[in-house]
Amino acid sequence: MLPPFRLARPKTLDEALDAIGEDQVPYCGGTELLLAMGAGLHRPDVLVDVKRLPELAGIRLDGNDLVIGATERHDRVAEHPLVREHVPMLAAVERAVGNARVRNQGSIGGNLCFAEPKSDVGTALIAFQAVATLVSPGGRRALSVEEFIAGPYYSAKEPDELLVDVRIPLGGPEVRAEYVKYQIMERPTLGVAIAHEPETGACRVVVGAVGEVPAVWTFAAPDEIDADTIASEVDPTPDLTGSERYKRHVTGVYVRRAVDALMSRGS
Amino acid sequence: MTEFSTVGTSVRRRDLVEKVTGSAEYTVDVTMPGMLHAKVVRSDRAHARILSIDATEALAAPDVVAVVTAADLEPLFPRFGHIIADHFILAPDKVRYFGEPVAIVLAETLGAASDAMRLVRVEYEDLPSVMTAAAALAEGAPLVHEQAYDATGDDSFKSLTGKKHTMEFPEAEGARTNVAHEVDLEWGDVDAARAGAHLVVESTVHYPMLYAYGMEPYNAVASYVDGALSVVSSAQHPYMVRDDLARIFDLPLSRVRVSTPYIGGGYGSKSYTKVEPLASVASWMVGRPVKLVLSVEEAIYTTRVDTADIHVRSSFDAEGHILAREIDIVMDSGAYADNSPLVLAKCVNRSFGPYRVPNLRVRGRSLYTNTAPASSYRGFGAPQGNFAAETNLDQAAEQLGLDGAEIRRRNLVRHGEAILPGKRGIDADLLADLEIAASSLERDRKDTPYYGMGVSCSASDAGAYPISTAQVRIQFDGSVIVFSGSTEMGQGSQSLLSQVAAEELGVDLGVVSVVQSDTSVTPYERTTGASRTSTLVGLALQRACADARTRIRDMAAEIWSCTPDEVIDLPGAVQGPEGAKLAYGEVVRKWFGGTAGEVTGIGLLRREGVTQEMPPFWETGMVGVAVEVDPETGVVTVDQLVTVADIGFAINPQAVEGQDLGAATQGLGGALYEELVYDGPQLANANMVDYRVPRVTDMPRKIDLVLAERRDGIGPYGAKGAGEGQLNPIGGAVAAAVARAVGRWPNRLPLTPERVWRLLNDLEDSDPPA
Repeated sequence: MLPPFRLARPKTLDEALDAIGEDQVPYCGGTELLLAMGAGLHRPDVLVDVKRLPELAGIRLDGNDLVIGATERHDRVAEHPLVREHVPMLAAVERAVGNARVRNQGSIGGNLCFAEPKSDVGTALIAFQAVATLVSPGGRRALSVEEFIAGPYYSAKEPDELLVDVRIPLGGPEVRAEYVKYQIMERPTLGVAIAHEPETGACRVVVGAVGEVPAVWTFAAPDEIDADTIASEVDPTPDLTGSERYKRHVTGVYVRRAVDALMSRGS
Repeated sequence: MTEFSTVGTSVRRRDLVEKVTGSAEYTVDVTMPGMLHAKVVRSDRAHARILSIDATEALAAPDVVAVVTAADLEPLFPRFGHIIADHFILAPDKVRYFGEPVAIVLAETLGAASDAMRLVRVEYEDLPSVMTAAAALAEGAPLVHEQAYDATGDDSFKSLTGKKHTMEFPEAEGARTNVAHEVDLEWGDVDAARAGAHLVVESTVHYPMLYAYGMEPYNAVASYVDGALSVVSSAQHPYMVRDDLARIFDLPLSRVRVSTPYIGGGYGSKSYTKVEPLASVASWMVGRPVKLVLSVEEAIYTTRVDTADIHVRSSFDAEGHILAREIDIVMDSGAYADNSPLVLAKCVNRSFGPYRVPNLRVRGRSLYTNTAPASSYRGFGAPQGNFAAETNLDQAAEQLGLDGAEIRRRNLVRHGEAILPGKRGIDADLLADLEIAASSLERDRKDTPYYGMGVSCSASDAGAYPISTAQVRIQFDGSVIVFSGSTEMGQGSQSLLSQVAAEELGVDLGVVSVVQSDTSVTPYERTTGASRTSTLVGLALQRACADARTRIRDMAAEIWSCTPDEVIDLPGAVQGPEGAKLAYGEVVRKWFGGTAGEVTGIGLLRREGVTQEMPPFWETGMVGVAVEVDPETGVVTVDQLVTVADIGFAINPQAVEGQDLGAATQGLGGALYEELVYDGPQLANANMVDYRVPRVTDMPRKIDLVLAERRDGIGPYGAKGAGEGQLNPIGGAVAAAVARAVGRWPNRLPLTPERVWRLLNDLEDSDPPA
């Protein structure tokens, strides 16, 4: 049973910014929020439904950025032609997030704001150096997704801010990217994202789900990716899917598998 | 092929369309006029004295009608339990496990009850707790129960456990311990046999704490009015629940009505009394109907599966023949007995396998602990004991240089041989079944590294006590209604009973309806468990049909003014002198003299004739499993699953295949994924996100479901029971397959990726704290 709450349904961004606050929280798909409320972990006074705000919706190109509105649901991101064309890795990740009900209901923005450690989406976006756009009555600010995911279940969004969209920089030749995940329960035990910029050769390796927040390593070239170093440096959270030692071990295994997948894909 | 008209055919399930379209009625859909909603206040600690319960604030909350506590139950018999009535409806003076019901909040709406539930203040004083069987056994361990309880004295329970057993319910006098029950079974001279053995193999395993997940959590709606109680619930055994409720309220059985609509999965977890007393005492308190629906988490805390720590020592001669087996079983049965005494007894009976064991000593102990009560689970103790002894046998095979099939070939009992002295000999050809399973596995063996195969088998003395009744009512248009107390919980009994009635009466399946499981409407059925329905209800129904035919012939003889022996049966009709024919409907109409009337046939079954000898049938399991292990992660992929159902005759082959695949898959769940984990006083994973049941993507790459029909059962057309047999040997088969893939023998289930990875790399089960 959900604790009692009021529902606000603003139609404009200004109304929404007026409505939100410490105990007046944004609500979109509810796949994380309503669970937390049902478990008695969260008792907001008001849920502010942001699904009617046009500024938070849509997937489009804006200059060199692919812009994904915060309220876009996972399955729409997965199927959207622009996402599939420019960042197919993200499309693949979104196609395998959670389960069918989560993908049909949950939003990319909600996923990031909730900062659930066992998320695939944040890990993938950090590999692309995606940027989150936040708006408050005081104006807008941009923050890398890496900074935005500040801690477990803790994003850098202030209570008076709304996440508007996520921007993935595209400029230049296509980034090669790969995501592999190790999942033996309902949520991933481990996700490894690699993005390889063909011009510089640089590789970003992001390891998510294994610890409290996604962790990032950069290497000069794919063949310099050092799985053992990454495995020794991750900070795993032991749980029912594995001990610290096991999770460290499978981190190394999956980083190697991600590199192999990247190399075998070619350009 | 043409011997039968309806049985032996995979007819479409009766409940198919309504279940797929969502129109099927389950208990949760049932409402009663003026109904209140109940929420249960539960203990938030493992073991504690209750100092006070303050419901003032809850009672002041909007729409709250009452808060029921143990003190209110003073005029009633406040406990239940079909073997030992040790289970307090509401904790009176102390709580014995996290999640134990302490109070019931009744309100006009579910929301009001949920809100007010949080306002009931319970003051506790913590007591030291015992969270594992080992802790409960330790010298000076805190007692879960300070008092003893009388057994209910169910004779049929005693005879289910077997003559050779000694079954101890520890007495009140003397030092009390946490041992709830002990069962011993012994024959021959194991010590002498071991002394002369070529090889002695010892092994110890742990069987995990499981939850028999069904999609429908426990729920009930009850109405106590004017000295009569009516309950609709998700009970597998409505008659057994009725008996418990009658004892609580001291009512005649006729004043207690328990009915069960469709059940959303039982698997043993819904056998016996669960939430019915809570809803019933609440209704009795306020004089209005009460609905209680548990969450999955509450359901897990209501009944889980007995864990087991089992030590096996087997002695062999040089050819691999078993000389002796010694087995010690310790089960953690949780805070209350429920059906664990029987689970333990069955675990003892089923632990040593369907083999020639000339010398045997089995000791079983069931422990009270401060954990959720354990009870029946598909297989009744067989999955626990079988895993332990089959793993031991496979280890012996390895040491003797035999393969898993060969050591079984050398030891399996042959058709008709006794497994338990004084019991029915085995009515199955396990040797032939073994060849089917082994050859199917070999046929698709893959030549890849980290690949392993295992065959395993089991035989269960079916706990199906032969007391059953059935009725058929032939309508004046010739159509037929079958009445049975057996419940439909997804296993397909509605279709099966229709098929038997249609076959016996020679009528079209389309004119047969089935009404089930209502203690005031349908005839008595002891339980719906132990795979009994096809065999025992089937026999009762055959007799009911024969009785109806006799009545029809008598009536026709009156109509034709001839003697009954001049009337012969035709399909759906009778024939008299000079070729006169009357369909059933015509007989009814002519005899009653109008478009009216009906004929009722009654079938009764008890321990006599074909059902004199116990068990009425042996339910066997024969499975083969092939696995592939990812050596880097320890992930186990099931490449092959083979099941061989030695069922005598498949009345509905598709239903048998469904049962076998379901049972085997549930077995794979316990072997590879499922385990409830206590973290301090409470479970770390009492939910379906963190308690992982098998998914469709986990299904084996190859599934070979074989039906071995040799018409050797006592049931209709030679049928025997099916439904749990293929779960029982899965643990052993998976353990053997994984062991052969990674080169080391596991000592526990489930074989999660980390456990397999540690096994492969010869690492301890866990790391020392940093």
